[in-house]
Amino acid sequence: MSARFEGAVLPVDRANVDTDQMVPAYLMNGVDSSGVGPHLFRGMSGGPELLAAHPDATIVVARENFGCGSSREHAVWALVQRGFRAVIAPSFARIFEENAYLNGVAPIVVDAARIDALLEAPTLALDLEQQRLTSARGEDVTFALDPLRKYFLLEGGYLEFMAAKRGPIRDWLRKVGETTSY
Amino acid sequence: MARTMFEKVWDAHVVEAMPGDNALIFVDRIVAYELTTPPGAVEIERRFDDKLFDPSRIIAVNDHISPAKDSESAMQARYLRTWAQRHGITMYDVGNNGICHVVVPERGYVDPGSVVICGDSHTCTLGAFGAFAFGVGTTSQAGAMLAGCVILQRPKIVRIAVNGRLAHGATAKDLALFMVTKLGFKGATGCVLEYCGSTIDALSMDERMTLCNMAVEAGATTAMIAPDETTISYLRGREAQPAGAAFEEKAAQWRGLRADPDARYDDDLIFDVSDLRPMVSWGTNPGETVPLDSVVPADASESSLSYMALAPGMRLRSIPLDQAFIGSCTNARLSDLRAAADVLRGRRVSVPTIVTPGSQAVKRAAEREGLHDVFQDAGALWTHSTCGACCGLSLGVLAPGARCISSSNRNFPGRMGTGGRVHLASPVVVAASAVLGRIAAPDELAPVEPAVPA
Ligand code: SF4
Repeated sequence: MSARFEGAVLPVDRANVDTDQMVPAYLMNGVDSSGVGPHLFRGMSGGPELLAAHPDATIVVARENFGCGSSREHAVWALVQRGFRAVIAPSFARIFEENAYLNGVAPIVVDAARIDALLEAPTLALDLEQQRLTSARGEDVTFALDPLRKYFLLEGGYLEFMAAKRGPIRDWLRKVGETTSY
Repeated sequence: MARTMFEKVWDAHVVEAMPGDNALIFVDRIVAYELTTPPGAVEIERRFDDKLFDPSRIIAVNDHISPAKDSESAMQARYLRTWAQRHGITMYDVGNNGICHVVVPERGYVDPGSVVICGDSHTCTLGAFGAFAFGVGTTSQAGAMLAGCVILQRPKIVRIAVNGRLAHGATAKDLALFMVTKLGFKGATGCVLEYCGSTIDALSMDERMTLCNMAVEAGATTAMIAPDETTISYLRGREAQPAGAAFEEKAAQWRGLRADPDARYDDDLIFDVSDLRPMVSWGTNPGETVPLDSVVPADASESSLSYMALAPGMRLRSIPLDQAFIGSCTNARLSDLRAAADVLRGRRVSVPTIVTPGSQAVKRAAEREGLHDVFQDAGALWTHSTCGACCGLSLGVLAPGARCISSSNRNFPGRMGTGGRVHLASPVVVAASAVLGRIAAPDELAPVEPAVPA
């Protein structure tokens, strides 16, 4: 994906938005990853209304511990299928954060003190290569991205990457075998 | 160099160090189920010739909605079933299944010191065996099905020593809830918890699983407990374990899996729990939990209070209920059902009460002891095993505004049904509350009249 983009903000002024709220379990009803976009935030009170009020949003801004709870990748697929490219929050749950990287949605950790201002910003500009976010209202924040995860975020292809590792992994397994001593 | 238990398992599974603090980690066991595995399996089918790295390392369980409740869930179950058949993957299906985190250990598929993944956040349950077991997303699981590995950022390691005897009606569930309140909801994000101490040593495997099950509710990657004789005797004779000398050889290895005495941790916590009392959640995450005999806290979050329709200062014991649920991967193993049955024996529930065993094997064992009669004589519904009401999928979905006391692990908004309100507690507290129709502890119940001899 392109490393630079500008997008409208979906202000989710809440902490602990769990993945049940993003896609309730009863709506995880496909055999593949398609078709979950319409369910985004269906389990969050006021969620669908919030989305309707920001039809062009591509960047979520939220409070701490975003994506906690269930490991369901459906939460990230729903974001992708609705055109979202980044989530900005002071902290993420581990599995959501991993899922986001692997699906090209940037999980961007920003100091909690800055979130108020970002929630107010109508649009934000992101440069994932430079790891920098700016707004017309003068926000200018640099953020950290893990180098390997940044690679998957920008290039995609996680399964292809893993497939290419099969040989070395089999070699390792042959060498190490199943013998482990502590 | 001295190493922690986690570090020993990690080091033994690093195939390759990767940029950042990442590593390619070998996975010994993958647990598949019908909601999160098929989308990954479909990708492998479409883009990688349907080739799996090693199907013999995969265990499949139809568990979240089993048997299917509608066409969609039937298609998910069918996909998993035909996929498992096609690859010769061992599968636990309708009639012989249950919740994967209950089925996998009770069949003996978890080795101390192994790495286990599943596309479900409560995979941390299996850390009770000294496995490094954790939830992952569908893509990461698919990567492991394809190549045998996951990529992980190295977690921090927190040692938690828990000492003192559980008394005053406190159970492993109360300990699990207590730990979430102490660590904070999200407080352990990025950490692996190594539990040790006299309390932990004294816990049964069922209880250790209850404790580890809720590690993820504090955000932890997982929790681990060093294998000991309790672990080894639990696993001996289970269907996936070898018999005789081969098992004892493995067990000898497992006995060596513990932290070196001078191992260094990123954080080191000590708790004494001899005063622990039964705990109940009042809010909308498991960290919003207080002792049952206290009140809704004064500094409670506004949004949680309004969702739960509660006010600060309300006594928890005064909160009336619409439903009670005993089930889930947290608390639906045989010992949980026995404890709940002890409370319900000779009594009647006063609100709709659903008892869903953790697996079909647990169900059958419970029935051999007559527990199904105890529950049904008390007026409770005794179901087959599935995730069911725990995540609002079937068998007891809550109506908007309905209030349920539950032995499960999550009280998120809408978790057990849109608008439904959930209070988390131990199976004995759920049972006592079911009798009184409000949040209650077993010691509040009037004694049961002795049956008149015929
Ligand atoms: S019982 Fe509940 S928490 Fe456990 S795996 Fe099933 S849905 Fe998840």
